[in-house]
Amino acid sequence: MRIVNLAHGAFFLLGGYAGIVTMGLTGQLIVAILVGVAVAAVAGLVTERVLLQRIRGQELPEVLVTVGVALVVTDLCLAAFGGNPRSIQPPAPVSGAFDLGPVTYPAYRLFLIGLAVAVFLGLYLVQHHSKLGALIRAGVDDREIAGAMGIDIDRLFTIMFVVGAGLAGLAGVAAAGALTIRPGADTDILLFGLVVVIVGGLGSVPGAAIGAVLIGIIDAFAKVWIPELATFAVFLPMAIVLVLRPRGLLGRPA
Amino acid sequence: VTGTRAWRVALLVAAVAVVVAAPLVLSSYLLTLLTLVFIAGLLAASVNFLAGQAGLVSMGQAGIAAAAAYGVAYATVRGHDVVIQVGLALVLTLVTSLVYALMTMRSRGIVFLMITLALGMIVFGLAYRLASLTGGQNGLTGIDRPALIAENGTFYLVCAAAFALGTLVLRHVSRSPFGLAVRGVRESESRMSSLGYRVAAIKFGAVLIAGLVAGVAGILAVWQTEFISPSIAQFSRSALAVVMVILGGTGTLLGPLVGAGVVIGAEFWLSTYVERWATVLGVVFILVVLFARRGIVGELEARSHRPRRSAGPAQGLETVPRTTNAGAASPAARDDPDDQLA
Repeated sequence: MRIVNLAHGAFFLLGGYAGIVTMGLTGQLIVAILVGVAVAAVAGLVTERVLLQRIRGQELPEVLVTVGVALVVTDLCLAAFGGNPRSIQPPAPVSGAFDLGPVTYPAYRLFLIGLAVAVFLGLYLVQHHSKLGALIRAGVDDREIAGAMGIDIDRLFTIMFVVGAGLAGLAGVAAAGALTIRPGADTDILLFGLVVVIVGGLGSVPGAAIGAVLIGIIDAFAKVWIPELATFAVFLPMAIVLVLRPRGLLGRPA
Repeated sequence: VTGTRAWRVALLVAAVAVVVAAPLVLSSYLLTLLTLVFIAGLLAASVNFLAGQAGLVSMGQAGIAAAAAYGVAYATVRGHDVVIQVGLALVLTLVTSLVYALMTMRSRGIVFLMITLALGMIVFGLAYRLASLTGGQNGLTGIDRPALIAENGTFYLVCAAAFALGTLVLRHVSRSPFGLAVRGVRESESRMSSLGYRVAAIKFGAVLIAGLVAGVAGILAVWQTEFISPSIAQFSRSALAVVMVILGGTGTLLGPLVGAGVVIGAEFWLSTYVERWATVLGVVFILVVLFARRGIVGELEARSHRPRRSAGPAQGLETVPRTTNAGAASPAARDDPDDQLA
């Protein structure tokens, strides 16, 4: 939908904190995930309806507004939850290690991999094999004609934005179990998000998946082998892709 | 107004007199604040050049300034003299700007913004992690200003002069044939390339020039604080520069300075009353983007309808989206082969 939401990192943070608080109250990971997704989605809904809808179709102002939202949300998170890192202790059955024969692997991380694959498949199926997906693709390709055909573009874009924000919240709760949620985690995750999208290609779900795996592996090895230059290692694939293929690996041609 | 030129000269002389006289009158606190305004204004001027002339909003300009600042800091800590300090800073500025320019020269609109944002974060990551050179999170201390400009009043004048010089250079570039080509690229890439211009090379040049100005701002910034830490490369610094530009008036000559003055003034004034200063800033930013996109200077100029505006260099931010994403209505936008987002 041609919006770069730079508040995504902030929604990630918000969802993560909401999940952590819920986890502390209920002890149920499922409830924590649902609350985290819901909180981030509501934040997305407010951002979209109150702010972005006024400037629909103007790319740069849209991005700049999301920057403002990011500043506000991260600062309020800092006010509410303080500067100390927080995390979730994964409950059974996703706690502990999982025996995979030759290696053991943390069960929670397996759960995360499953979750990511499920989300990826879900998004891909919706985008390419559902009526909603067809409407979205039509809306992105040609806003005016799609509108003239009777598609409610505004509602469509609101749905997209809210789903995006909800997924950021989901990522936040999920990350709270494996990493920590703290001030600054938002920009860390945003950097990965941006690089993954630049490498994978704007608007492509498979591109994002390939980019994510690629960047994730490079980052993981770089952190062990060249810790001082780990951030730089993320830069290299981005640079190579931008020079050789500016639209990204699976980005659509103009 | 008749005799506009005489008025402008008189205004200029008055402005210079006020700026030069300031150290004699102001308290050291206010003088430091003004120094900060000029330094931030210079960084904002660099962002403004790209946003106003090329229609490219850089969200990572602080990364270039930070590279220059680390150059000064590293050379100082290693005991080198001022020539080496500035030399290293300029080399690092050039290298970083070259990387920025190479990575972004084939992008525009939100893709340009995303790439510069990512590059800025990578610079931050390097500053944070490359602890053997940068001191990591603790940063580098013991950076003294060169003896010649160590005194606060002198340093203030240097910063003011640097801002004036940077602004004049950027104005000169904007009005040169190259500047016109940059503006042509902003208006229509496909038209410019069919006229035989090399669009990527023009953007490359524009990013490089803006980068050099940002580098100078970085050198002054580290001399101002006499200390450096990764926070100088933080995303919020780059975002703040963009806020200043939009608040002051995108594409206007003095917009960056006015924007810097308002933001820094508000920061110091508000932060004594309100703890959540960043929230206030975010809200202000949103309001400005939504309701006052011409900015303060842009709004004033639009109201006074001066005839020289017709020859003036640039327009406000609001023309940018119309040209980069004219909706489906504009055939130019749809036929543009360079549109990476279409």
